[in-house]
Order: sequence, then structure tokens, then C-alpha cells
Amino acid sequence: MSRSSTSSLATCVWIPLFPLRCEEARHEGLAACPTALLAPDTTRKLWQVSSLARHVGVKPGMTVSQAIGLCSTLRLIEPDPVHYDERFAYLLSALSEVSPVVEPGELGLIYVGADGLEGIYGAPAKIIEVIKRTLEGWNVGMSEAGSTVQHSNVPTFRLGFALGKFTAWVAASRAKPSEAIVVPAGEAQKFLAPQPIAVLPLDAGIHRRLRQLGVRTLGALAALPEAAVTAQFGEVGRRLWQLAAGRIADPVEGRVTPEPIVATLTFFTPVGERELLVHSVEQLIARALKHPRRIGWRVLAVRLRADLESSGGRGAACCAPTSRSWLANILLKDPTADGDRIAAPLRTRLEQSPPTGAVERLVLEFTAFAPGTTELQLFARDAQAAARAGQQRALRSAAREIRMRVKQSSLYHIVEVQPWSRLPERRYALIDYEP
Amino acid sequence: MVTSSRTPLRTDRLRAVNEPQPVTVGFDESRQMTVGWPDGRTVGKIDAILESWRIDDEWWRQTIARNYMEVMLEGGKRMVLFQDLLTGQWFAQMP
Repeated sequence: MSRSSTSSLATCVWIPLFPLRCEEARHEGLAACPTALLAPDTTRKLWQVSSLARHVGVKPGMTVSQAIGLCSTLRLIEPDPVHYDERFAYLLSALSEVSPVVEPGELGLIYVGADGLEGIYGAPAKIIEVIKRTLEGWNVGMSEAGSTVQHSNVPTFRLGFALGKFTAWVAASRAKPSEAIVVPAGEAQKFLAPQPIAVLPLDAGIHRRLRQLGVRTLGALAALPEAAVTAQFGEVGRRLWQLAAGRIADPVEGRVTPEPIVATLTFFTPVGERELLVHSVEQLIARALKHPRRIGWRVLAVRLRADLESSGGRGAACCAPTSRSWLANILLKDPTADGDRIAAPLRTRLEQSPPTGAVERLVLEFTAFAPGTTELQLFARDAQAAARAGQQRALRSAAREIRMRVKQSSLYHIVEVQPWSRLPERRYALIDYEP
Repeated sequence: MVTSSRTPLRTDRLRAVNEPQPVTVGFDESRQMTVGWPDGRTVGKIDAILESWRIDDEWWRQTIARNYMEVMLEGGKRMVLFQDLLTGQWFAQMP
């Protein structure tokens, strides 16, 4: 159901504290006061903290009472993961207009493939400009979607352009807000050398050991013999050394996201009982499994979203009532078409980390698929074609747009006429593309 | 290639693709073969002839006789040329 394309040139788009920025975008004046976002689980600890709150000592992971003790004016926000997910999906979609190769990372981190874009937009600086315009447009959309907040107050992005994702990410992490750092081809090593080792994807243990060894920059790490680093830290160390030395340029891997299969249930009255929720989830799974597009495919990823009953917030420090939601993204260990196996991890999630309020609406989505067994495939005559429906829809929309702009069809199918002919001009022909 | 939509093919709406493009082939002052467009613009000098083959076809209708050659131009660009053996005219075409 999915194909991927890659690009070695990468533009890293990074919006630090993405969920918090989303909240600032929809609540006027929030950016001007110390703010903290609660974790989306039941631990009631702080998840993300604004810079103003950090200045007075509030840190992520603190309990609410610890944080209030440090900052009595702290404004606490209930998390709305569905909203963040939607805004992120919208951002991905906006960037897909710039490049066909877009790879999402964590919330707020996106890699945009830039191979071939020079032919469309020009030099890297021009590509960066186009991405900036797209992000600014997204900012405005975000303000409009939520409130009257001006887009100058909402997410500030940072951009990095380089060969390979890691160098692009380091460049983005070093860039100033709303600015970009371009690392020219062949200069990755020079750029990376003075960067701190903290930019590497390493765990706390390796970080501590490297610092104990006096290795503080990527240049210092790259100066060590590769074999010695591998001997000390194993395969992970070898990869870290190669990243530090600019020897690896991981390409951006675009993913053609299949159209998800969605099943929705709206409750007449908000539901808080876990058993009823579990039962509803099972019903939704059964309904989604019957979808014709699912036939012949096993489910690989499931997303369960819940819109929670609105409330006036919790505690004196909470700000104005916000939309609340609950989100569970499950990647199944083994792709399956069995309802019970799909429901099992969702049941566990509902038990361990249930929604923090009564549920008004449940939405279940199958978001990724794996091919079914041979027997299943035999019954999947149209499944593949149906799975491409999303792509076809995008193609039809693009074709309509072109026809609207140029007033005549300039899109063609290539059709075989006499593919066996020895004369090249007889083999194929063009015919108007009519989606 | 786009997979067939099973819509009946309307041959009146077909457009030719990969039709031969007329070119001129000659020699410059240093006796090196050059390729140019009919409007006088130069395509490039031929560095080497990599391959050549001949097509004789449709003798039952209107005879087609072409002498194809794949050439390498200065700078490494490859190009396929053919000479219509009936008219002597040169064309460029994708293989």
C-alpha cells in the first residue's frame, strides 16, 4: 500500500516545543506568560515548559505542585494530542506541495527531500525561501484555525539544509529562529567538527562516558580512530563516529501515506467507563476490518483518538477551558487482520493510561498496512487499486488545477501503440489525460 | 507508464511521441563531424561513433531505410542519429 522515494539532499524543518507552540497559537496572550503543558498520560507531570517558565526554574518532569511552588503565575495547559497531530499532518501536507519527498520525525521535526528541487526553484537559498513561505502560510492557517493570535506570535521554525538528514538536523538546531543554515556540499565535516556531542543521537550513558574521555565535540570524536570507538561502544559507537565524521548521509525517505481506514463513534452522552470504551473500540475495529480497502491487507498501525468532554480546567493555575483529547498510536509487532490482536494493545493502553475525562467521540484509524498472506491476496482483486485511491485523488486534483490555470490540457498518458515496432516513433503515443 | 484505464482508445486524439527531429550533420574546418539544428544552432562535435545499425522496413508499403548511429559528443553527451537512406536527410531520435 505504500511506496517510498528518497533524497540525499535534505532540508530539516524544526519547530521546537511543537505542542506548546500549537497551544500558544490558539490562546491569545499565552506566549507572554510562563506556561507549561501537562503530560498526555495520567502521571500529571509537566511535559513541555515555555522559556519564561524555565527562567524561574520550572522544568519538564516536575509535578504540578512543585511547579506551582516555584511559579505561582504558571499557566497549566491540558494536552490536546489530537490537535497537535492534526496541525502536524497539515504541516506535512503543506510541505508536500514543495517536495514529493517528505519524512516526518517526531512532532515538530520534518525532513524535506531537496534532490531535483534546484531545477524547479533554483539554488538552495531559493528552496529555503519557498519552504519559509510555506511555513509562514501554515503559521497563518494555524492562527486562523485556533484564534485571533497574530502569526508573528506562533511557532518559530529553524531550518537546516545539507547532504543527509543528520547534518541538516544539526544545521537546523544551530539556526536562529525563522532562519536557516545551509551547509554546502563537501563542507559537512568542517561544519560538524565544532558542534557539541549532544547533537548526536546517543543515550545518557554514552554521553557521560564520552565526556569523561574528554570528547566534547564531533571533531574530537571524529579524530579518534574508528576502530577504537567501535571497540569501546560497539555498533552504536561506530555509527556515532561515522555521523561525527560526516561519513554517513542518511537520505530523506518519503512515504506515500495510504488513505487511512476510519471508523467513528459519537456517544449520545460522554462515556467514562473503561469497559464501555473497550467494547466500543472492539466494535470500531470490527467495522474498520470489514472495509473493502482492507481486504487482502493486514493492519500494521492503529490510531485511536478520543474527543473528551470539555471542562473548565484543573486547579487554580489552569488557564481558560481548552479542547481536550486523548490519542494512542499503536504499531503492531506483527501485522494482523485479527480483531482481537488489534484490540489487545489498545485495551492495555486504555487500562494503563486512560483518557483523562469522559469521551464524547471515538475515532479509530488503520494508518499502515502490510500485504496479507497469499490466500488473502487472492481475494484482494481490487485492494491495491483501492489503496492507491488517495494518490489518484491527489493526481485528479492536480490535473484539475493545471487545466484551470493553463485553460487547456497539457497532461497526457503514454500509451503503447506498436511496442514491437523497430521504428521508435511507432512504439508509443500520447493521449490526453482525463482523470 | 500509466496503467490502462480500460477506456476505449480514441486514435484521433493520439499524439506522436519520439518523432525524428531533423538535424544537420557536417564537417567543421578541422574536418571533425558536427551536429546542428536546422536553424543553425550547433548541438556539438562528434567525438566518437559508439554503435551503428540499419533498419529496413515496410518495403511492402513505403520503404523505410535508415542508418542509425549512437554517437558521443564532446563533453560526453550521447545522442542517437540516423540518416534516411532514401532522402539523405539526417535526424536525431531517442532509441
